[in-house]
Amino acid sequence: MLKILIPTFMLIPTTWLTPAKWLWPTTLAQSFIIALASLTWLKNLSETGWSCLSTYLATDALSTPLLVLTCWLLPLMILASQKHTALEPVNRQRMYITLLTSLQFFLILAFGATELIMFYVMFEATLIPTLIIITRWGNQTERLNAGTYFLFYTLAGSLPLLVALLLLQNNTGTLSLLTLQYSNPLPLVSYADKLWWAGCLLAFLVKMPLYGVHLWLPKAHVEAPIAGSMVLAAVLLKLGGYGMMRMMIMLEPLTEKLSYPFIIFALWGVIMTGSICLRQTDLKSLIAYSSVSHMGLVAGGILIQTPWGFTGALILMIAHGLTSSALFCLANTNYERTHSRTMILARGLQMVLPLMATWWFIASLANLALPPLPNLMGELMIITSLFSWSWWTLALTGAGTLITAAYSLYMFLMTQRGPLPPHLIALEPTHSREHLLILLHLLPLMLLTLKPELIWGWTA
Amino acid sequence: MVNFVALAREHWVNILVPMGFVIGWYLDKQQDQKLTAFRNKSVLFSRELKPGEEVTWK
Repeated sequence: MLKILIPTFMLIPTTWLTPAKWLWPTTLAQSFIIALASLTWLKNLSETGWSCLSTYLATDALSTPLLVLTCWLLPLMILASQKHTALEPVNRQRMYITLLTSLQFFLILAFGATELIMFYVMFEATLIPTLIIITRWGNQTERLNAGTYFLFYTLAGSLPLLVALLLLQNNTGTLSLLTLQYSNPLPLVSYADKLWWAGCLLAFLVKMPLYGVHLWLPKAHVEAPIAGSMVLAAVLLKLGGYGMMRMMIMLEPLTEKLSYPFIIFALWGVIMTGSICLRQTDLKSLIAYSSVSHMGLVAGGILIQTPWGFTGALILMIAHGLTSSALFCLANTNYERTHSRTMILARGLQMVLPLMATWWFIASLANLALPPLPNLMGELMIITSLFSWSWWTLALTGAGTLITAAYSLYMFLMTQRGPLPPHLIALEPTHSREHLLILLHLLPLMLLTLKPELIWGWTA
Repeated sequence: MVNFVALAREHWVNILVPMGFVIGWYLDKQQDQKLTAFRNKSVLFSRELKPGEEVTWK
């Protein structure tokens, strides 16, 4: 564990001490080496399921895919941010990379934590760099409003979690994930217990986000710079899903009854946010709402609590992390050329940037869950486990997939097809950097179709 | 020689991350040894290793 964590920390002094002209190549190369080294986590030989064990940190089949995704994303964020920070003073560029690196540091600690309180502290700690990235490097003045929404939604959701965790510590005497699963089941009968149940899950449902408490997400996505959007969509939302999967073990007898309204909200959210996507004019906002829609499915899969539900949720989280991050990168290549997120102002780009149109095509297909990709595997497992719980869910999930296909098509047609608007006369050609960036998103996704057991988790 | 000094001055920072890796790897190894120090040492439960078996548990 420390063999990844300490190099990640050492990346911060490297960022500040490296000569200005070597800043981006050095940080990119070294973060990429860290990402490659993190792939060793995938080889889990231990019999207990937990490996890389130390006093506070460990990895298991649930956290490993998310940890590797976190490490994989830092070089991609650095690759994506080079253009728009190029005009800033070099110290500000260093600060930007430092924030991204510290985010990876906190995220590794959050996913690797064996203590729930440590997980909680790191869950909160990730807010700080993200908030600074959004409010300092966002493009418009609305970023301040978005930052406030982001911070206060998450904080208001997670303060009950702190109380709930302290209560759990009082009742069981431990918060260690290694021992908690062997502790006696709690007798959860009173109304206070039901409140405790809600307190345990609320923070994660807000982070996820569940439909109804999702309003912070499109704002944060739209206002954040590209790296902020990428990490938010790819990893930070997954903190919610990961936390829920970890907490579910303790909430056993109550979840069966209390999860009904939340499952309904999640599935209703799939349809509602999908429909919002269908009439969206803002490209980044569309991708953000599509994230809410997919994460609704993940929330449903986790709340249903079957092995298939958990597995599907984990697969969909990883697949969606790579896909939505790729879509944000594609949206950013448009934004860097047209300086607008409005879809109608940048149409027909297939004519000028044909290879980019291919990437758009593959990313859209991944978003609508085309057969061989892990996106489909995840969605199918969740839909199946929901269907075996109640037939009626098929009406919601089925309509959801249909709408997902429709808005993915809408997004692709809107940006790539049709005539080129006359105001786009001098578009920059695409750079190899941008192609490499998208390739590094989509290649792991395609390779995962060949070896999906890496992201199956412990339940399958 | 001058080239080497210039190279070292320009690129010495690149040693920080690999150094972190080595330190982390060493500390991980220390921790592993600490956690497995009493593996197969118990008088009650210790047993002969089967042929081809390296340790009793990983």
